[in-house]
Amino acid sequence: METVNPVRNSNKVLDQNQKTGFSNEVNPYYSIPIKIKKIIPETSNITTFILEGMPMKFEAGQFAELTVPGVGEAPFTPSSSPYAKDMEFTIMQVGRVTSALFELKQGDLVGVRGPFGKPYPLDDFKGKEIYIVGGGVGFAPLRSLFLALLHNIKKYKKIYIRYGARTPDDIVYRRLIPDWQKINGVDIHLTVDVGDESWQHTVGVVTVLLDEIPVNVKNSPTIVCGPPIMLKFVTQRLVEVGFEHKNIYLSMESNMSCGIGKCNHCRVGKFYVCKDGPVLTWDDVKGIEEPFL
Amino acid sequence: MKLYLLPSDSIKSFIKELAEDGSVFYPVFEDDKTHLVKFAEDKDFEPDFEKIRTAENIKHFFFPSRDVVAKFPKDSRPKAEKQYLFGIKSCDLRGIDVYDRVFIKNEPVDPMYQERREKTIIISADCPEPADCCFCNLVGVSPYGEGTCDINVTKISAGLLCEVFTKRGEQILSKHQDLFKEAGKDNIKEREKIRKDALKRLGKINEKSFKEDIGERIEKAGKKTMQDAQKDCVECFACLHACPTCYCFLLSDYKKGKDVERVRTWDACYYAAYARVGGGANPRSDLKDRFWNRLLCKFDYFNEYEGFFACSGCGRCYRGCSGKIDIREILWKL
Ligand SMILES: Cc1cc2nc3c(=O)[nH]c(=O)nc-3n(C[C@H](O)[C@H](O)[C@H](O)COP(=O)(O)OP(=O)(O)OC[C@H]3O[C@@H](n4cnc5c(N)ncnc54)[C@H](O)[C@@H]3O)c2cc1C
Ligand code: SF4
Ligand code: SF4
Ligand code: FES
Repeated sequence: METVNPVRNSNKVLDQNQKTGFSNEVNPYYSIPIKIKKIIPETSNITTFILEGMPMKFEAGQFAELTVPGVGEAPFTPSSSPYAKDMEFTIMQVGRVTSALFELKQGDLVGVRGPFGKPYPLDDFKGKEIYIVGGGVGFAPLRSLFLALLHNIKKYKKIYIRYGARTPDDIVYRRLIPDWQKINGVDIHLTVDVGDESWQHTVGVVTVLLDEIPVNVKNSPTIVCGPPIMLKFVTQRLVEVGFEHKNIYLSMESNMSCGIGKCNHCRVGKFYVCKDGPVLTWDDVKGIEEPFL
Repeated sequence: MKLYLLPSDSIKSFIKELAEDGSVFYPVFEDDKTHLVKFAEDKDFEPDFEKIRTAENIKHFFFPSRDVVAKFPKDSRPKAEKQYLFGIKSCDLRGIDVYDRVFIKNEPVDPMYQERREKTIIISADCPEPADCCFCNLVGVSPYGEGTCDINVTKISAGLLCEVFTKRGEQILSKHQDLFKEAGKDNIKEREKIRKDALKRLGKINEKSFKEDIGERIEKAGKKTMQDAQKDCVECFACLHACPTCYCFLLSDYKKGKDVERVRTWDACYYAAYARVGGGANPRSDLKDRFWNRLLCKFDYFNEYEGFFACSGCGRCYRGCSGKIDIREILWKL
């Protein structure tokens, strides 16, 4: 008759935690107050917010909840290097919280909570070619990854970046890219959906940059971040050319609230994007019905 | 295992004595429903330990529907008070098991939950008469406390037969030892009979069990099946508010003077806007997707992570449902 074992050991759970001394002094819902040091507009609707200092120790790929006091929180991946002195976020204005954030000025107070989620497994990337594909504001988390890779650039064989935006004016970090292109061991190609007179590079959606893939697809990791529709087509292409499914790292889009694997908002299939992600591999998500919305 | 007897004429004294140490909540039966009420000195009271679980779920004792969880920029939060839950049923212990996993076992610990859990003494009571909505036996829950509670009591002819499960429970008994007696053999025999009868009754109410691989079956059944299953749902959401194992929540911030309060409210994956992301896209706007997700969460994902279902078999969702959807009927068909 019984189909499952009655598990009745919650008292043990309680005792165990008291013994291992999980502290309930640390409140995982509390945001650390921090001032905005500088605001740098990147495009018409994307802005980089530089905070005054580094309120937490994070690794590339992890994210934080950013608070506009009295308005609410939203999840963002820092766009700065984990080794930097100040924490930065590059944010697109889309709705309630982000619009309130765009009203703030230098010196205003915000809150941060984190870091959450798993970092990119940089140890596994050692000695390999790393193929990064981004679209739109998806460059924000990828910049943090890129800067973390640059910090130890000798450890990696080569870093490729393929990035697409709608128009040349929508390219994030246009102020920084020329310098990055000069770095030895870095290969950056850009494309825009619609060019203008001054545009010298490729025109077309980001997948046109993937027509030829110069890396060894058999063992190279590829990291993708961008809007869901881009994620879908880029993933199709990466699978088609033979990247290992476990080497295709995808930033998942999901609704979030707690960031700590409790509220359930971020569930995609059986994964908590906030805890198991925010980056999952194609191997993880390919079985899920419509993983990209 | 040592059992004690709280004689019938000492039950009220025990409650009164407990109330000197904290709030005591006990079950009363009114208008065909059980409710948990707070003991007050000036009130007549008639606790009833034999009826099934309360109509309302009891999760708010640990996880209130609205809870200030943090303040900004300087943190502070209210302290939990000591409370006794006397006479809650075994299915509601499953709810507590679920919350213990989510809020304590899985790091980081939720300090508010943990504090309330530590300050709450649980004295559960046997169910001698399971009702038709009950299916605890199908989800691995017995109709009597076997853990998670500090003490479990069984109503027998001579009073309450008490079994102690924790140190805390022992301390309570020794503090009030004048009221208790050691249980006799016939007391214990009586309990055995009550339990056997209860299980037999449950076996009759739920003749079929769920298939071993019910989680996978739900996955495989897919959205099409869900369309049939949810056709009577009018989205009144009674099931969500009644459910003692649902734990989804939402954090929102409110200005309070110069400070900001971060408030946690109950939420549910069954709400249409639940999974909406920035800019407006929504992967689960359809009712059948949400219905499916609710079953997957309870019977597939939670079971995979924690080894038991996030469902207690309490049947509150069915009792509350405007469309009389019975979750058992759906699962039996899979
Ligand atoms: C891990 C992670 C990292 C991210 N990193 C970045 C980044 O680096 N840069 C960046 O620009 N973006 C990033 N995003 C996306 C960013 O989190 C969203 O753009 C942001 O949450 C939008 O917030 P908003 O309040 O401005 O948008 P809105 O569209 O107003 O709101 C989105 C949120 O509010 C809720 N909501 C709003 N209106 C309603 C309604 N009517 N009913 C119900 N719910 C509603 C939604 O449920 C949703 O949670 C990231 C997202 C994740 C998950
Ligand atoms: S589901 Fe089981 S434990 Fe809950 S009230 Fe019914 S018989 Fe009692
Ligand atoms: S799903 Fe229904 S039967 Fe299961 S715990 Fe929730 S209310 Fe009770
Ligand atoms: S955001 Fe709350 S569980 Fe992931």
